[in-house]
Amino acid sequence: MSSYARYARPALKNSVDVPLQTAFSDGNWPTVIRLADKRFKTFKDPYYEAIKISAEFQLDGTAEKCAVLVAIDALLKQKSAPDLDTLELYEWAARDFLEDIDYSDTLGPLRARWVKANPKSPAAVQCLQSCLEFWDLVSAQQIAATLDKTYLNSSDRRYMFWSVTLTFLLSVSPQCSEASRKVYSLLALRQLERAAEITEKSTKVEATDRGLLTEEEIYLYFRVLLAHGTKDAYIISLYSSKLGALSQLKAGRKVLFWEALDVLETWGKWDIISDLCRGALNLGLEGATPTFYVCDLRIWKKFALAASKAANEESALSEVKAILKKFIGMKTKANEMYKKNISLASLEIAFRLPATILNPSPDHKGLTSRVVQVGLFLENYFDRLSAFDDIKDFVAQFTFEESKTFMEHVVATMLAQSADKSKHIILKVLECKFRYLLATCPQTLSHHPSVVDGQKQDKPYQCRFCANLTSLPCEHCLKQVIIEAVDTHKQIAGDPELIGVIPKLDRDPRLDLAIVIGNALLKLASLRGQVSDVAPSPLRDVNPALYLQAVLLLDTQLKETPSDTGLRLLLVKLYLLLGCASYAYQIWIPMDVKRTIQDALSPIFFDRISTISPGMFQGSRPLMEPLRTYYSNSFRDSCPLRIWDAFSSGSYSSILDLTEYDSGLRRSCTLMMTQVEERRATRCYGGKLDGGIDDSPFTEDIVDGTTLVNKTDYGSFPNLESFHGPPIQDFVRLGPELSNQRAHLAFLTEQYLDLLAFKPPKDYKPAKANEVAIKDRNYILETLSRLSNSLTEFIHQKETAALLTAPEMTYYTVISLLSAGLLTSLSTSRADPVPKTLPLLSSSIRSAFASLRTSFLTTPSALPDTYYSLTNMHAMAYVRDTALAMKHSAAFVFGFHEKELARDRSGKSSLHKEAVAEMKALDAVAAKALVEIKRHIQKLKESLGEGGWLDRMLEWTFGADEDADGDGDEVAKAVSDVVGGHAGAEEWAGKVLESWRDGVKGWGMVKME
Amino acid sequence: MANFRRFRPDDLNKLSKCNLDPLTETYELGFYLQYYAKWPSLFQVAEDQHGNIIGYIMGKVESSPDVYKFSEHYLPWHAHITAVTVAPEARRLGIGKLLTEQLEAAADANNAFFVDLFVRSTNYKAITFYKSMGYSIYRVVKDYYGDHSSDPTQHSEDAYDMRKPMKRDLKKEHIRENGEEFEVDPSDVW
Ligand SMILES: CC(C)(COP(=O)(O)OP(=O)(O)OC[C@H]1O[C@@H](n2cnc3c(N)ncnc32)[C@H](O)[C@@H]1OP(=O)(O)O)[C@@H](O)C(=O)NCCC(=O)NCCS
Repeated sequence: MSSYARYARPALKNSVDVPLQTAFSDGNWPTVIRLADKRFKTFKDPYYEAIKISAEFQLDGTAEKCAVLVAIDALLKQKSAPDLDTLELYEWAARDFLEDIDYSDTLGPLRARWVKANPKSPAAVQCLQSCLEFWDLVSAQQIAATLDKTYLNSSDRRYMFWSVTLTFLLSVSPQCSEASRKVYSLLALRQLERAAEITEKSTKVEATDRGLLTEEEIYLYFRVLLAHGTKDAYIISLYSSKLGALSQLKAGRKVLFWEALDVLETWGKWDIISDLCRGALNLGLEGATPTFYVCDLRIWKKFALAASKAANEESALSEVKAILKKFIGMKTKANEMYKKNISLASLEIAFRLPATILNPSPDHKGLTSRVVQVGLFLENYFDRLSAFDDIKDFVAQFTFEESKTFMEHVVATMLAQSADKSKHIILKVLECKFRYLLATCPQTLSHHPSVVDGQKQDKPYQCRFCANLTSLPCEHCLKQVIIEAVDTHKQIAGDPELIGVIPKLDRDPRLDLAIVIGNALLKLASLRGQVSDVAPSPLRDVNPALYLQAVLLLDTQLKETPSDTGLRLLLVKLYLLLGCASYAYQIWIPMDVKRTIQDALSPIFFDRISTISPGMFQGSRPLMEPLRTYYSNSFRDSCPLRIWDAFSSGSYSSILDLTEYDSGLRRSCTLMMTQVEERRATRCYGGKLDGGIDDSPFTEDIVDGTTLVNKTDYGSFPNLESFHGPPIQDFVRLGPELSNQRAHLAFLTEQYLDLLAFKPPKDYKPAKANEVAIKDRNYILETLSRLSNSLTEFIHQKETAALLTAPEMTYYTVISLLSAGLLTSLSTSRADPVPKTLPLLSSSIRSAFASLRTSFLTTPSALPDTYYSLTNMHAMAYVRDTALAMKHSAAFVFGFHEKELARDRSGKSSLHKEAVAEMKALDAVAAKALVEIKRHIQKLKESLGEGGWLDRMLEWTFGADEDADGDGDEVAKAVSDVVGGHAGAEEWAGKVLESWRDGVKGWGMVKME
Repeated sequence: MANFRRFRPDDLNKLSKCNLDPLTETYELGFYLQYYAKWPSLFQVAEDQHGNIIGYIMGKVESSPDVYKFSEHYLPWHAHITAVTVAPEARRLGIGKLLTEQLEAAADANNAFFVDLFVRSTNYKAITFYKSMGYSIYRVVKDYYGDHSSDPTQHSEDAYDMRKPMKRDLKKEHIRENGEEFEVDPSDVW
């Protein structure tokens, strides 16, 4: 049954006469009601009444709708088994209501009751399916238990395992009462333990036995054992000759083995990991599995890691080596992939060996076995696309001496010996990448006194490669990398033979060169990602010329290699930082991020987009609709997608995984981002929001304690960085990535703004105005108190500051203070003295806001004014949002005050004078800031409207004209050569400019009230 | 650099290396999960050292619905490759082949007569790939795809239905040599 099936009209009982049947199937509800009523009166069969009620439900009208609920309630009270056809009718009739009424309190128990009375009926399974669709685990478990009892020792083993699976699911679900959790846990565990015992003891398990037989049953056993059993029991079972990890491997099933390695690692059971890996590899050697089936890189890595943790490390590693040697002996027969895994395993072991046995030759301190191994690997694989990624982490572990030998001997010799032109170029590209990588490794620098002759040095290191004084990374080396990469680039461009070869290569070497150059430029520009004293603007301390050069160069490369997604992703981020959202979007779109991959990839473009360029939301198609559609499709039912498929196929581990995946997706940070970004943009343009954020079906189950998960996939970014520093995505992002804390703060803030914006419908004139006013007041106070507590809690968590940009931190802090301030203002009676906290809150708000405003308005001296403003929209967005929040909070207080005054002329219930005064002060500050922003945007608009922009852009990029063409700045000249000089850069400058104008135009229409 | 294992739903968050490549289609969530729910052992992935998915194969075992039992196009119990893809950076390392071999092993374990698949008639790389592993064209499905992968002026493209016999097909009754000459309509296939 598809998930749509419950919307299908149920068939009426055969006994129903033809006219009624016809009317029902035609959806002719008035006739159905009339006929059913007549039949009910004639036959006194309540089924006819049920038909009538269900038909009435199809007509509009609240009373008719309630009738179904009343009828269901009556059935519940009856205690006897209900009629199944009646249930089907009600379930169909109330289909749209079922999300609101709790299935597990209504139809679920009725279905369970019916199954108990009719356990043998084929319809019992349908009842199970219905309960699962509504994710009523309590009723589903009861039905499954009934079915299991009914079909004990049936050859359809699913009854037994449905029951166990559901008992287990219930035991770990919030639907389970704490009191019964233990019972269900034990029940599931014991049933499976018994099943395992049967399997262990019998020579052959028959389909009718209650042992473990299928692959999925065995997985279920281990999952439940892991959750509810002891560590010892789990480990003992892992060794079972019938069920254990190795016996599963022999049968060609890796799942358990993989799971076990993960589990054992979290338990720190390295001896057992070692044991299992040895066992697995021996299976391959003995021919119990295909030889190389066990040669996943992961096994080797874990085996080597476990050995390095053994008491006798050296002998353990020798053992790993000995086993590896046997595989190497047979390597020629292996699939290419496994050959490579085996080569990487050799590296893995070489890098696990203790430093004492590195065994460098006396005259060559750097020529260690590690360097030799990396060299050997390179010889075989240098021309593979993944060569750099494969060995990058090893190279970054080299000592300085090793790196020097590696670069100056190994790589240099390979280069000198490669006669083939295209291979030579590929090696050259690799060399550039390694140089860059090593520049990001701290061991290539030595400390230099930070104070010399009483003077503080801004270059606290000395580069061990080039001996120059430097900060990290070495600027001189980075410049050298750029110059060399540019030379190679030019060499390719000037050689028709090489150009001719490129289409036959896996990848255009110029692409890799461009990425190296771009990264080196970004590093030189000081784009270093988040620092602790978070700068309000991500580009404030970044050299604009070098940054723009990097963007220009990468953009030029994208035209040559438009299908490279790594480059595209990088550029999307760089343009977002630059404030060119519309251009970034043009680059983003061809990647066609749609459907399933949106949850993991959309944040790369969409996160914080409303703060960079709200105008993006003004297009003809709602910007984030595909995301919303994705989520509504995925959450159409309350159960995990495809869960019944897994039940009916007996895929028990899939059931558990689907459930977990569904739970994660419903708590996705991307989902929260989608809603928040859209709401923020809608508010920017005074659009109408569909209700409060907590009315959204997507946020229904989210409470403070819900952990929201970030699954952003950065796997395709071209990451040349060493593991000593952050990966590339961390410094090309506008701020910290999505997080639980940020998502919660945004969610709570939206709720706060919803409260401020709430207006009762115009025609709402309650009869008992006074009572309603008191109720309203209580509701407001309760909500404020809840929000204020939660906001404070999240703001004060110690990780929070590091998870937000500086403007976000100010904004959420202010919102948290405002909610507390409002609560105090509204709850302090006029007669009482105003609590001291109120002026304190108010002054904290003002000072937080003032520093945000100042940092936004003061351009660092090194940056052109307009450039700084254009790359700092995020801060402006938060000045606006913070100001508006203050203004709206104040307005809320004034409104409240006036309403109370109007209601109670005595003035007793109106607000404290001082509270009103504090709010007036906030309002004034906010109003002033909003005027400032308006002026700021206007100024930007005018500035961008002036002539001479292309020249200015080129000047920002390359410095003054003479410089680039003369011999002034070596790097700028090199870059200019690659991009075709100023002429080549002009088109690009035009695009950047246009995108800036788009952005500012969008800002120009944003409401400042 | 790679591990081979069964797919897990969390892998869907790690698909970018495969799915940002224009040759690889991204489906609705329910589509992937349906395969994982029904045929978990026929959904295999290759991952790199960072957990990125660099290749996957998704398949099923089935026969045509019973109502077609007497149709000439009826398909007996067989395995079907719904999707196979390898990230551009990981191609030509034998990953595609290993993934397909695993599915074939599962097909044999499920007692299937053959493994089949549809491929665009212009996807030469993939056709060569399948042929290298012993698949042959069984029939041509005219205008199977509603668009054309390389020629935007065309609104459709043929598919090759390719097959490889499994152990159960002792007499090789389910393949034919001149499959290119057998044309069928999309409505004839499931
Ligand atoms: C088709 C595809 C899955 C092959 O994956 P792969 O891992 O690169 O393939 P393998 O390395 O296992 O190749 C096995 C054999 O197939 C053949 N082959 C694979 N790719 C080939 C190519 N580009 N050109 C010629 N032959 C090729 C070769 O005979 C190869 O053996 P060899 O390398 O020893 O010569 C991969 O190219 C891909 O993902 N393409 C895009 C998606 C797609 O088209 N999927 C098929 C849809 S039906």
